[in-house]
Amino acid sequence: MIVTPEVSWIAIAPDLVLALAAAAVLLVEVQWKPPSRILGYVTAAGLAAATGFSVLQWILVGDAVAAGDEATLLAFSNLITMDGLAVYARVALLIATGLGLLAGWRFVEGLGRRGAEGLALVLLATTGFSIMVASNNLVMMFLGLEVGSIALYVLAGMTRERAESDEAAIKYFLLGSFASALFIYGVALIYAGTGFFAILDIRHYFSEFVVTSPAVIHIGLGLVIAGLGFKISAAPFHTWAPDVYQGAPAGIVGYMAAVAKIAGFVAISRVLLVALGDLEVTWLPVVAGVAALSMLVGAILALVQGDARRMLAYSGVAHAGFIMTGVVGGATDGVLFYLAIYSIQLVGGFAVVAVVSGFSGARSSIDEYRGLARRSPGLAACFAILLLGMAGLPLTSGFVAKFGVFSDAWANEYQWLVVVAVLASVIALAFYIRLIVVMYMDEGEGERFLVQGPVRWVLGVAVSATVAWGIFPASLLDLAADALPL
Amino acid sequence: MLTSLILLPVAAAVIVALVPSRRREMHLPLGISLSIAPLALAGYLFWVFEPAADFQFVERAVWYQPWGISWYLGVDGISLPMVLLTALLVPIALGASTAITVRTKEFVVYTLLLEAGMIGSFLALDLFLFFVFFEAILIPMYFIIGIWGGERRVYAAVKFLIYTAFGSALMLAAIIALAFNHASQFGAPSFALDDLMNLDLSSGVETWLFAAFALAFAIKVPLFPLHTWLPDAHVEAPTAGSVLLAGVLLKLGTYGLLRFNLGLFPEISVDAVQIMGTVAVIGIIYGAVVAIVQPDLKRLVAYSSVSHLGFIVLGTFALTSGGLQGAVIQNVNHGLTTGALFLLVGMIYERRHTKQIADFGGLQKVMPLCAGFFLFMAFASIGLPGLNGFVGEFLVLIGSYATLPVLAVLAAFGVVLAAIYLLWAYERVFTGVPDKEDNLALKDLSVREISLLAPLVVLVLVIGLYPAILLDKITPSTEAVLDHIEATTSFVAPPPGRIGDVVVMEQATE
Repeated sequence: MIVTPEVSWIAIAPDLVLALAAAAVLLVEVQWKPPSRILGYVTAAGLAAATGFSVLQWILVGDAVAAGDEATLLAFSNLITMDGLAVYARVALLIATGLGLLAGWRFVEGLGRRGAEGLALVLLATTGFSIMVASNNLVMMFLGLEVGSIALYVLAGMTRERAESDEAAIKYFLLGSFASALFIYGVALIYAGTGFFAILDIRHYFSEFVVTSPAVIHIGLGLVIAGLGFKISAAPFHTWAPDVYQGAPAGIVGYMAAVAKIAGFVAISRVLLVALGDLEVTWLPVVAGVAALSMLVGAILALVQGDARRMLAYSGVAHAGFIMTGVVGGATDGVLFYLAIYSIQLVGGFAVVAVVSGFSGARSSIDEYRGLARRSPGLAACFAILLLGMAGLPLTSGFVAKFGVFSDAWANEYQWLVVVAVLASVIALAFYIRLIVVMYMDEGEGERFLVQGPVRWVLGVAVSATVAWGIFPASLLDLAADALPL
Repeated sequence: MLTSLILLPVAAAVIVALVPSRRREMHLPLGISLSIAPLALAGYLFWVFEPAADFQFVERAVWYQPWGISWYLGVDGISLPMVLLTALLVPIALGASTAITVRTKEFVVYTLLLEAGMIGSFLALDLFLFFVFFEAILIPMYFIIGIWGGERRVYAAVKFLIYTAFGSALMLAAIIALAFNHASQFGAPSFALDDLMNLDLSSGVETWLFAAFALAFAIKVPLFPLHTWLPDAHVEAPTAGSVLLAGVLLKLGTYGLLRFNLGLFPEISVDAVQIMGTVAVIGIIYGAVVAIVQPDLKRLVAYSSVSHLGFIVLGTFALTSGGLQGAVIQNVNHGLTTGALFLLVGMIYERRHTKQIADFGGLQKVMPLCAGFFLFMAFASIGLPGLNGFVGEFLVLIGSYATLPVLAVLAAFGVVLAAIYLLWAYERVFTGVPDKEDNLALKDLSVREISLLAPLVVLVLVIGLYPAILLDKITPSTEAVLDHIEATTSFVAPPPGRIGDVVVMEQATE
C-alpha cells in the first residue's frame, strides 16, 4: 500500500517554531552579539508562539474528537499524531521549559557568550521531546528521544570548567546512549514480531491476532521498558540520576529532569497503553514491579542523602515509581495530571537549590539550609510548600496527583501496589520533612539569600500551582481527562 | 454556617500573617481576639442545634464530579461537642502562650490553621475531605512541636509526624477501596459517608478496611502499643501544643473510631468488640501504672491521657447506649480536664523551668491558687462525683458492663489507679514544707492565668452537675449509630443501657 505523505503544518507547528527559535538564537548571536537579555526575548517569543500553536491544536483536537473524525489528527503518513495526549504533554513541556529557563536565567547569563548555545540547546531538547510525545511511530519516537537526549547531555556539561559537570555529562551520555540503544533494539524486536512501527498499527495487530510465540515481542517489550525506564530514572535504571543531578549546572537541572520525565512517561503511556494495550497481562506485572521498586528504592535512599540535589534525584526515582503506578492503573489521566504537577514542583524546587548553592555550582549540602527560615523566610516557605507538595500532603496538588494515580491502580486491581505506594509516601515524607526540619528547626549562620527577578516568578508560579491545584484541582483534572491518546 | 466555621480561623490566620513581623507584641492578642469569632459561632451552633439523629446544617458542593468527591459538611450530636471544645480550647491555648517570644507570628498562624483543620475534620462528611483535614492538621502541629518545643523537640515532632502519617496512609488506601466498592455497586464512586454506609461489603474486605481505619485511629488515640509517640510529643510540645494535642487531636482518633469504624463497618465492629475492648483496657491499666512512676509531671499527665482515652475506646466498642454516650461526653471531659492540667503544668514550668516532680514540694504554701486549681482538675480527672469525669466514666463503665463485664471490672481499676497517680503527684508537688529555695519565691497565678482556667472550671462543674446539657444533644446521634449497627447486623444492644427499650419492655409487661 502506498500512502501519499500529506503535510499537516499545524501538527508540527510548535516543533517547527521551537527549532526555528533555536536557529534564530544562534544566528542573532553570531550576527549582533547582543546582550543575553535580547536572546532571552527571542527564546521567549519562540516558546510563546509554540504555546499559542499548541492551544490552537488543543481546540482542533477537541473539534475533531467531537466530530468523530479522529483520523484527521494523524499526519505525515501517520508518523505524527496530534491527539490530546500529545498536545497536553507538549504544553507541559513548554511550561517546564519556560519556567526552567526563568529559574536558570542566572546560569545562562553566567555562560557569557556561550549563553546562546545554552538557550539553543534547551530549545532543541524541548523540540526533540515535543516530537517524541507526538510520535505515532516507534522510530519517530526514537528520533525525538535522541534529539532531546543529546541536547540534554551537552547541557549537563555546559559548565565544562568544572570537573563534576564533565563527569555528569559523560556519565549521562554513556548510560543514556546505552539506554537509547536498548530502546531501539526493543523497537526492532517489536517490529520483527509484528511487522509494524506505527503505534496504532501495532495496536490494531494485537487486537486482531493472537501471537502464538510471543517471545520476541516480550523481549522487545522488556527492552523498550528498560530504555524508557532509564529516561524517567525508574529503578533499577536510575543509577545515573543522582550523579547527573548533582553534577549538572544547578540552574538548569530542574528543567532537564522535568522534560525528561514528561516525555519519557508520555512515551511509556503511548507504547504500553496504546500500542501494547492488549498485551496488558504481560507487561502489567513487570511495570508494577518497576513501580514498586522505584518507590521503595527512591524513598529509602533519599533518606540517607546529605546533599539536597542527590536527595531530589532519589525523590525523583520515587516519583517515577508513583507515576508508574498510574500507568499500572491503565489510564493516562492520572499520569498526565501528576506529570504537570510534578514537573512544575521540580523546576521550582531546583530553583531554590540553585539560589542556595549557586547557579552553576555542584555541591549543595543540606547543611547550607540550616536555619534558612530565619535568614530568608520567603525562600524557605516556598521550598517548604514545594517539598510538602512533592511529599503529597493534602491541600497540595501533590496529594491530588497521588490520589489520582493510586485510584487508577486500585481500579485496575493492583491493590498491593497501592499499599506499597502509600507506605513509600510515608517514607518519602520523612526525607522531605528532614529538609524542613533543617530549615525551620535548626539554627545556622550563613548568607541571607535575596531571591531576584525571574526566580521569584518561578517560585510564585510553582507555589501557587501547588496550592491552587491542591484545593481546586478540577480544572487541570478535566484537561488531563480530556487529553486522550488516539 | 459550617463552612464559615472552618474559614474563620483561616481568615484569622491570614490577618495575623499580614501584621508585620516586627510588631510582635500584637500577634498574640490579635490572634486571641480573632479566635473568639469561631468560638462565638460554635456557641451559636450549639445553641440552635436541635437534638435529632440526622446531620444538621448540611452543606454540600461538588468538588470533583468524576471522583465523586464533594465539600460535604454536617454536624450531629457526636461532632458538635468536639467542635465547641476545639473552638474553646484554641483561645485558651493561645492565651497560655505568652512564654513564646520567638516567631510569635508564625506560632499564632499555625495554631489558627490547626483550629481550622481540627474543626474541618469533625465536620467533614466526605471521607476524602475528612482525610484532607486529618492530614493537614499534622503540618501545623508538627511545626508547633518542632519550633517551640523543648530540648528534644525535633525528634518528638518527626516521631509524631511519621507515626500519624503512617497510620493515615493505610487509611487512604482503605478510603480509595471504599469509593471503588461504591463504584462497582452503584455505578459511580462516592466518598460521602452516608453513601458508603449503604455498601454491602464481603466480610473479608470489610475486615481489612476496618483494620486500616482502626490502625490510623489507634495511632491517633493512641492505643497501646502504638502510644509511644505521645509522651515524647507532649513533653516536648509547648503548653499550647500539649493542650490542643490532648484536648482535640487525640479525640480525632476516638471520634474516628466511633464515626467511621462503627458507621462503615458495623459487622466487623461487632466482631471486634472483644479485641478493641481488650486493647482499650490494656491501655487504661498500662497508662495508669506507667503514669504512677513518672518523674516528670508533664509526662505523667501524658500517660494519664493514654489511660483516659482507653475509657473512651472501651465505651465506644461496648456498643451500648451508655457506652457511646459516655465515650462522647468523655471526649469533652478529657479535653477540659487534661487541657487544664497541661495548662497548670505549663504555668508551673514557666516559673520554675523544670517539670521534675522531685524538684517541687510544698508549692501549696507559695502558690495556693495553683494548688487549688490542680486539685480540682485532678479530682475531675479521677472522676469525683459532681464533676464531669464522673459522668463520663460512670456511663462508660455501666455501658460496657452490659456487654463486656470482665473488661468493665478491670477498667474500673483504672479509676482507682488514676486517684493514685494524680493524688500522689499532688502530694509530692504541692503538700509538705517548701524546702527547696527555688520554690519559695514562686508567684501564684496571675489574673490572666486564672481567667484561662476559669471557663474550664465552670464547664467541669456544669457538665458534672447537669450533664443533660450535653447528653440531650448527644443521645439521638449515638442512638442512631446503634440503630445502624442493629439494622445491618444481628447484634442487639442490651436493654439496660437503653432507656427507651426499658420503657417499651415495661409497657409490654403491663
